Amino acid sequence: MRFYLQKIAFYVVALWAAVTLNFVIPRLMPGNPVDVIISKMGAAGQPVTSGTRHALEVELGGGGGGNVFAQYGEYIVNLLHGNLGVSLVDYPEKVTSVIAQALPWTIALVGLATVISFILGVGLGMFAGWKRGSWLDNLIPVTTMFQAVPYFWLALILVLVLTRVVSIFPYAGGYDVAATMPGLSWGFIGSALYYGTLPALTIVISSIGGWMLGMRNMMVSTLSEDYIVTAEAKGLNPRRVRMTYAARNAVLPSLSGFAISLGFVVAGSIVTEQVFSYPGIGQLLFTAVTNNDYSLMQGTFLVISVSVLAANLVVDVLYGIIDPRTRARS
Amino acid sequence: MSLRSRRKLLIGAVAVVAAGALTLSGCSAGSSGKNNSKGTTSVTVFDGRVGNFTENFNPLNNTGSYLSPTNGVLYEPLFYYNKARAEKPVPLLGTSFKWNDDGTELTVGIRQGVKWSNGKPESADDVVYSLNLVSNNPGLNTSGIKWTAKKVDDKTVVIDFPSTSFTLEPQVLGNEPIVPQSIWKNISDPTKTTNTKPVGTGPYMLKSYTPQSYVLEKNPYYWGTGDTAPKVDQVRYISLANADAATSALESGQVDYMGGFLPTLKDIVAKHKNLSYSNSPQATTAIFTCANASMGCEGPQTDPAVRQAMYYAMDRTQLNTQALKGFGLSASPTLILNTVNKSQITSPDYMTVPQKADADKAKSILKDAGWSLGSNGYFTKDGKELDLSINVVSGWTDYDTVCTLLKGQFKEAGINLSVNQTAQNSWTQAEISGKYQLSLNSINMGVSSNPYFQYSSYLASSATAKVGGSATTNVSRFSDPAVDAAINTLATTNDESAQQAAYKTIQDTIVKQMPYIPIYVNQALAEYNNSRATGWPSQDNQYAFPLPWGGNWGVGIVLKSARPVK
Repeated sequence: MRFYLQKIAFYVVALWAAVTLNFVIPRLMPGNPVDVIISKMGAAGQPVTSGTRHALEVELGGGGGGNVFAQYGEYIVNLLHGNLGVSLVDYPEKVTSVIAQALPWTIALVGLATVISFILGVGLGMFAGWKRGSWLDNLIPVTTMFQAVPYFWLALILVLVLTRVVSIFPYAGGYDVAATMPGLSWGFIGSALYYGTLPALTIVISSIGGWMLGMRNMMVSTLSEDYIVTAEAKGLNPRRVRMTYAARNAVLPSLSGFAISLGFVVAGSIVTEQVFSYPGIGQLLFTAVTNNDYSLMQGTFLVISVSVLAANLVVDVLYGIIDPRTRARS
Repeated sequence: MSLRSRRKLLIGAVAVVAAGALTLSGCSAGSSGKNNSKGTTSVTVFDGRVGNFTENFNPLNNTGSYLSPTNGVLYEPLFYYNKARAEKPVPLLGTSFKWNDDGTELTVGIRQGVKWSNGKPESADDVVYSLNLVSNNPGLNTSGIKWTAKKVDDKTVVIDFPSTSFTLEPQVLGNEPIVPQSIWKNISDPTKTTNTKPVGTGPYMLKSYTPQSYVLEKNPYYWGTGDTAPKVDQVRYISLANADAATSALESGQVDYMGGFLPTLKDIVAKHKNLSYSNSPQATTAIFTCANASMGCEGPQTDPAVRQAMYYAMDRTQLNTQALKGFGLSASPTLILNTVNKSQITSPDYMTVPQKADADKAKSILKDAGWSLGSNGYFTKDGKELDLSINVVSGWTDYDTVCTLLKGQFKEAGINLSVNQTAQNSWTQAEISGKYQLSLNSINMGVSSNPYFQYSSYLASSATAKVGGSATTNVSRFSDPAVDAAINTLATTNDESAQQAAYKTIQDTIVKQMPYIPIYVNQALAEYNNSRATGWPSQDNQYAFPLPWGGNWGVGIVLKSARPVK
């Protein structure tokens, strides 16, 4: 119990630090939203006069008033009420609802892709380590090469080949907007899966190499442990030796890596979503940053920090279950 | 300006991939038609939106966050002011207008028989209500001047202004949406509503909405008949992340109408016979200089001779070819357009900027101003080298290209230019606060093609502030009493000869002073697919400014002029 309490206390402190940084960083950035809107209006041929600035300041509300500590207090109170403020890009929409629109797409796409990549990579790595020198070993350099290629480049090439040269996949979007409406219908889910396949494929291809290599090498060193020899000498079923004795111990380092990559599911999707015009949180963050939309940025960063922390917490706890040694106190 | 950044972000990669796509694929535009079997005709529009749409159809919102068809397609103003060509305002909900001699009273004729998209009649009362709603709400009134609209009879509305306000005409008549009183009187704060069930008089009305795409349908009660009635049944709006996806969508026939710079556009149009484009340049790309030492500007660019030397030292043909693939037009040193504003340019010498570099002339201007050429090839004065630094937003590839080329071109004329690539926020901030030497930006047209808007925004003392303060639009810190007086004349008279004299004063001064050094008029490309609908604007027939962006009322005119292909 004490182990878990300590963990939770640690994560509460980490969360507070993240929330506070989240408050400070946008305030260190140059420029303010009124200026950005005015420069956009000018470019769109809207009339800009001294009255315009005043009208926008009235419309958007004071915002930056009060001293920093009062603002910080207000920020924390709002946060506890689940109020992340109002987006300026999509004024007067609430930040929470803007994020809520984008988040499911990202979690479904990048989350599933990460899980698939991990399971595939670890599984293949396990077999590669178990049967050293087999054809699976030759796969490793290939997958590592894909990991070494810059992700956006790999994705662009796949878009070119699979959507333009041979039109297997759609080139952009989250689902076929003309044929179906979002909802719990087979038409929509099928369409969303179809549209998500290519982006997911790029993520899997570009990340599977690491899992595979790590798992294979751990597997090889685990297989030389004494307890494996003992298990084999006892005449245990090779499958049982492979899974319960070798793989369970070999997967531990990969699992902590998985925790970190799960946390970055939300954050690491900016490039994917740019390349595939995918309607997720990466594009949202990008828009927020280019428009000085502090509240939207804060909201997005908050979601990212919380998801990283939550993923770490979950895996920390699971790790304790899989590997009891981490719970023991010396 | 975020549209620009969206468009240009991935263009480097796009050019390569798009070119590859062109050579490798022979697929033709229009292969995946969306005209379904029931005979419903539909066109798809890409308005530059990135990521999810956010449901907001509030036409009064000033922050630009309403969805782009709100103003022009769903809601209409009294008149349409076409910035793409010189012509009289096009009557929409108004039929005629007339100023009194003082410019304090504007009499507007109101169109009869107009209905809202819910079938209820629209009247002069709605016009009065809408205009006063904006005037009385400080969060909506961007002009800072309060007017009062009054109904005279069912066909006539009179708008009173506190002072001479000729220049407010395009704002009041052409940029204020007319909204139904019966709905808006129940909305407590019109700046904060998102108006998710829009009821307007425009040619289209909202049919269905999702965050990824929304559909408009023909307004059955629309007042227009014949040529001015919409004929395409449905208009779908989609979002795409970047120019790469937009190119793909255009080539595969999934977008019928979009705006944006595609570097390979000429090749694309040559490959696909159904595609066409129009170019309506309006914004003059220019080197903004912090020019006025008495307002606190620092650096060699405060010397007019240095600004003149830069003006002559640049090879604009090369800049246009390399940065814009030749889609830019020649600029005028008067900062207004030599196309739509031709009659307001007061000297034939001011029509176009030199297209070729003249390094010798640049050097002689500098020598006459007391600069001397050093042994390293750069000018010096009072022991200081002629070093200038220019701010440019990194990722705006056309601007970045211009700056890189200018560095070489200026070197020929003995000017040492260093390029400072920066994020958009700090670029804007540097201009507003005046803490910069040179900055690459553009002179934008105002709410109509009247040159008053450029001159009052970019040259008037009232639009600037000392370095360290916030300049609204006149970031050059230019200030000249004669120019201020001339701008005031433009604002207060309707007399053409007085206006021409004022133009001459302004133009003679700025051509000499050169607070903004024009380069070219930037492209404004719109692309069309003619396989499902025709009647789009063409290069020769720009009956409306076509770029499908938010705030452009012309989109409504374009969409109601589109005709389905039988």
